[in-house]
Amino acid sequence: MPQIKNLLLKSLVLTIFLAVWAALTETKYINPLFLSTPNETFKELLNLFQNQNIALDIYYTLSRTLWGFLLASAFGVLIGLILGYFTHTYEAFGFLIDFFRSIPATALFPLFLLVFGIGDEAKIAIIFWAASFFVILNTIYGVRFGSKIRVKAGKLLKLSSFDLFLKIILPQAMPQILAGMRVALSYCLVLAIVTEMFIGGQNGLGKKIIDSQLVYDIATVYATILITGAIGYGLNLAFSLIERKLVFWQV
Amino acid sequence: MSAISIQNLSKTFPQKGRDYDVLKDFNLEIGAGEFVTVFGPNGSGKSTILNMIAGLESADSGSILINGKNNDESKVGFVFQNFNESMLPWRTVEQNIRLGVEGNVKLKVQNTKIPKQIEGVEATTVSPPQTKIANLLAQTGLESIKNKHFFELSGGQKQLTAIARSFAFEPEILLMDEPFSALDYSVTKKMQLKVLEMWQNFNEKLTRKNEKLTVLFVSHDLDEAIFLADKIVVLSPRPATVKQIIEVDLPRPRTLDMLESQAFFDYRKQVLDIFKYE
Repeated sequence: MPQIKNLLLKSLVLTIFLAVWAALTETKYINPLFLSTPNETFKELLNLFQNQNIALDIYYTLSRTLWGFLLASAFGVLIGLILGYFTHTYEAFGFLIDFFRSIPATALFPLFLLVFGIGDEAKIAIIFWAASFFVILNTIYGVRFGSKIRVKAGKLLKLSSFDLFLKIILPQAMPQILAGMRVALSYCLVLAIVTEMFIGGQNGLGKKIIDSQLVYDIATVYATILITGAIGYGLNLAFSLIERKLVFWQV
Repeated sequence: MSAISIQNLSKTFPQKGRDYDVLKDFNLEIGAGEFVTVFGPNGSGKSTILNMIAGLESADSGSILINGKNNDESKVGFVFQNFNESMLPWRTVEQNIRLGVEGNVKLKVQNTKIPKQIEGVEATTVSPPQTKIANLLAQTGLESIKNKHFFELSGGQKQLTAIARSFAFEPEILLMDEPFSALDYSVTKKMQLKVLEMWQNFNEKLTRKNEKLTVLFVSHDLDEAIFLADKIVVLSPRPATVKQIIEVDLPRPRTLDMLESQAFFDYRKQVLDIFKYE
């Protein structure tokens, strides 16, 4: 029963959203050059799948997103564990992380282009760079602010440092690490789109958006935006499910 | 030699810009194999004493010896008040108890007290870990839920798992810091009986009969302090000093009907009188 109620509520919110969108655009209250009507947008959405190679763009964007995410996760967890576990390293390097994460990734485009060229490498490198910080910081917090009592109990039971880390510190940091990865994943998709929009290339949803924008094909712009939203929603949902399985003890 | 020997222990805590003495020249000797409860008002530093014996907190001055050794050379069992914070919720009941035998084995052998003449017959580590864990599961009655994850258990089951873990560790001394204060009345009563039973069982398995596990149990519940103890250490408020040590001569095994006996009332009165003339 609560599930049905939940579903009804969501449908209601969606209906209101579409109604407001339609009201604002069909009446030309908002200039059609800036926002297409729902009707046009969904027609174009269908067209994109039927007559154009949008699936290929989705594939490229997704693959950049996931590559960036995988690299950021592996690197971020490793660095985060080191900085979280060895307090001295955090004291030494922590300020650098706070400095670099404050710089907008977009401002670093020229640097990345210089180093990696205009291919996929530059895009993935930027995604990786920007998403790493979420994983690093959350991993550090997970390690540093895990239960002290649990670690003390393990020490009293004469666990070796390696066992303490593997059996207590790492598992109790897992919820925080995964939370960081989930935020990073959403961010990876955003960055994939942005890099495709502003760094040259032939494909990807970002490229589609910027190209359509340049020729005032507003319906295509918004149809593509809808696709990116759906992908982001799906990725987050999928990761949440994995998260719940992995840290099942967390209510 | 005392199992626990505390001499001239002092500790101050900063609070609101001032240093408060929690302990000042605190002395206490606890004999081997005794079940000792520590009773005192809240904030009297009961937990601080336990933490310092275990080496979880440092003292400002003074010394603590466990069987004549420092705490890092000793096997100190510890049951924390907060079982949710001290146990591993991602492990099952059985796996949690197993953590007690996953420690450094070399140290275990060092500390096993085997008298020269019966070398080869191990004193405390008679059984292999698996048998030991199976025994503890049976004793605690956790057998039927051994594959349940810790986070799914009730409060009583959680603390019982914690106690089983500390017995699996086969400590030289066992420190218990108000372990039942988060549990309701009837569960607490069952747990008290269970701890005594497990302590008894543990002692019977030791080959040297006169050598029993020393337990130091902190409580703010007077009935509990009397019911469990061979000796009650009654503390004064800050800075904590030993007001009096009361020997409890109730027969063992203890039973719940003793709570209503005249002797029990007399002990109760004896302790309360100590605080009456404050």
